[in-house]
Amino acid sequence: MNSHSNPNIQSIRQAFGQTIDQLAKNNPKLYVVSMDLKSSLSLSDFATHYPARFVECGIAEANAAGVAAGLAKSGKTVFLCSFACFSPAINWAVIRQSICYNNLDVKIVGSHSGLMTAELGATHQSLEDIALMTTLPNMEVFAPLDTIETQKITSVLAKSRRPAYLRLVRPSTPVLSNPKFPFTIGKSQILKKGKDVTIIGYGPILYQAFEVQSIFQNQKPSISLEIINCSSVKPLDFDTILKSVKKTKRLICLEDHQKNGGLGQIVASLFLSSKIHPKFIHLGVNNQFGRSAKNYQQLYNYYGIGKNNLMSAIKKII
Amino acid sequence: MLNRFHPLSKISHQLRLDLLGMIYASGSGHIGGSLSSLDILISLYHSNIFDFKKDHFILSAGHLACALYTVLASKKYFPANLLSTYTDFDSILQGHISKDVPGVEYSSGSLGQGLSFATGLALGDPKHTTICLTSDGEHQEGQIWESVMFSKKYKLGNLINIVDCNGLQIDGTTQDIMPLNNLAAKYVQFGWTVTTVDGHNFNQLIKSLKQAKNSDYPNCIIANTVLGKGVSFMENNYKYHDVKNLDEKTYLAAKDELTL
Repeated sequence: MNSHSNPNIQSIRQAFGQTIDQLAKNNPKLYVVSMDLKSSLSLSDFATHYPARFVECGIAEANAAGVAAGLAKSGKTVFLCSFACFSPAINWAVIRQSICYNNLDVKIVGSHSGLMTAELGATHQSLEDIALMTTLPNMEVFAPLDTIETQKITSVLAKSRRPAYLRLVRPSTPVLSNPKFPFTIGKSQILKKGKDVTIIGYGPILYQAFEVQSIFQNQKPSISLEIINCSSVKPLDFDTILKSVKKTKRLICLEDHQKNGGLGQIVASLFLSSKIHPKFIHLGVNNQFGRSAKNYQQLYNYYGIGKNNLMSAIKKII
Repeated sequence: MLNRFHPLSKISHQLRLDLLGMIYASGSGHIGGSLSSLDILISLYHSNIFDFKKDHFILSAGHLACALYTVLASKKYFPANLLSTYTDFDSILQGHISKDVPGVEYSSGSLGQGLSFATGLALGDPKHTTICLTSDGEHQEGQIWESVMFSKKYKLGNLINIVDCNGLQIDGTTQDIMPLNNLAAKYVQFGWTVTTVDGHNFNQLIKSLKQAKNSDYPNCIIANTVLGKGVSFMENNYKYHDVKNLDEKTYLAAKDELTL
C-alpha cells in the first residue's frame, strides 16, 4: 500500500488514489475533477491512465464544483478532489446550490482534514468540514477509519449516484478494520465490544481508543470499552449507538474537528430527544484554530483530543 | 419602442403581457431583467436553431425565472394557466428557477454558478450545444472568470454564453456599483469568440446564435438590452429590477403600454 516501514501503518489518501484508478477500469463514466492537487491526493496514476476523464481546473474551487455538477448532469460520476480546507470550504455555496440542491452525482473528496495535517498549520487544518457538509440537504458524509475502509467506502460511493462528502487525512495511520466486514451507508461498526464506556468517533483518530482500551482492560478493576466506528457520519446509525449506551450508560465522542457542528453535538441532540440520558464527554477542538507542529500527536495533546485526554475522560466518566 | 416587424415580435408582445400578468398575480418578481432577457429566450426557443430535447439551456441568472417560465409555457412545456401560481406555496414555479419545472435542467439563484455548470455539461456532452444565459452584473462574481478560463482551456466550441447586458443591477448601474467596462474585450482576451448584438433585434440575435453553433472556441454573445423593455416607466430604471406588491394602477399602466 505504501513505503512505510510498518505494514500496519498505511496512507488513506494513497488508498483512495489507487481505488479510484482501479474503479475507473470498469467504469468509463468515472471522472476526476482536480484543483491542482493531483499528486497530493495520489491521483497521478488515474491522470496518466485516463487523461480524458481527468479534468484539471487549476486553483479555482468554485468553478471546479460547478464543472463537476455539469459533468454529473451529463451522466458522469464525478470525484471532486482537493484539500478539505479549500473544497468544501471555499466552494461551499456552489456545493450547496449546484451539487446538493440540483441533487447530482458528485463526491467531494476533502483530504488533509483535521489536526493530522500537522506541519501546514491553521490555514490548512480543516476543522469545520463535517459541520459544513452535514448541514446540507441531500449530502451524505463519510470519514474512513483506515485504508481498508477507504477502499470500501470509495467503491460504494462510486455506485451511489448521490452527492457525498469523503473526508481523508494526510499522514499514514494504523490499519484497524476487518477487510471482511462490508461497508454499508448508514451503518456503523462495533470495532470492539465492551460494557462500561461507549466510545464513538470517525476517521483514524479512533486508533487512540484501541490503544487505551488495552491499558484499561488490564488494570484492576478493569474497565471495558465499546468502540464504535461512525464512518457513516450522515446518515448516522444512531440505533447502534443507542443500543450500546443503554448498556454502558456512558458516552465519549472523540473527533479531530471543532466541537461546534461536530458529531458530538449531533449525537448529544439525538440523546436529549430520546429517553436515554448517558453521562457524556465530547472531546473535540474547542472553538480554536490549529497551529503547526512536527507531528499531530503534539497537537492532539495540546487541543485536548490526544490519548492522555481520552484516558482522563474515561477515568472521569466512570 | 418594441420591434414590431419581425415574425417573433408578436410572440414578444404576448409574452410580455403574460409575464406582467404572472408577476401581478404573484405580487412580486424580477420584472426588469425578465423584460430585458425575454427576446433572447424567444430567439432560443421559438427558432429552430436548437433542439432542446438534446441541446441544453442553463439559466445562470436564476432571478430571470419569470421570463423563462413564460417562454416554456408558450412552448407547451407545461400548461400556461400555471403561470398565475408563480411563488405560490404549492406551485412548482418558485421565485428563482427550479429544475422541478418541465424543461428546466438546472436550479439556480446564487449568481455566477451557472456558467461553470454549463461548461461541465458542455465538456460531458460534446455532441450537443450548451447555451448559458448570464447577466452583466453577474460578471462581478469571480467564479464567472474561472469558468471563462476553463472553457478556453478545454476548447468548448459547443458552449455559448449569452450575456443579458442591461447595465443595471439591484442597487444601481453596473458602472456605479462595480464597473465591468468592456466585457467583449475581456472575453476576447480570454480567447473566446465574441459577438455583440442588439438584444431586442431578432434578426441579429438569430444570426449570432447560428454563427455561434458549432464553432471551434467558446462563444460569447453580448446582448445589449433595456431593463424593463416595453414599459416606458420601467425602462432603464433600476428600481424595477424587481417589484414587490405590484399595485393595480401600475399594472394597468404597464398593461396598457404593452397591449398592441
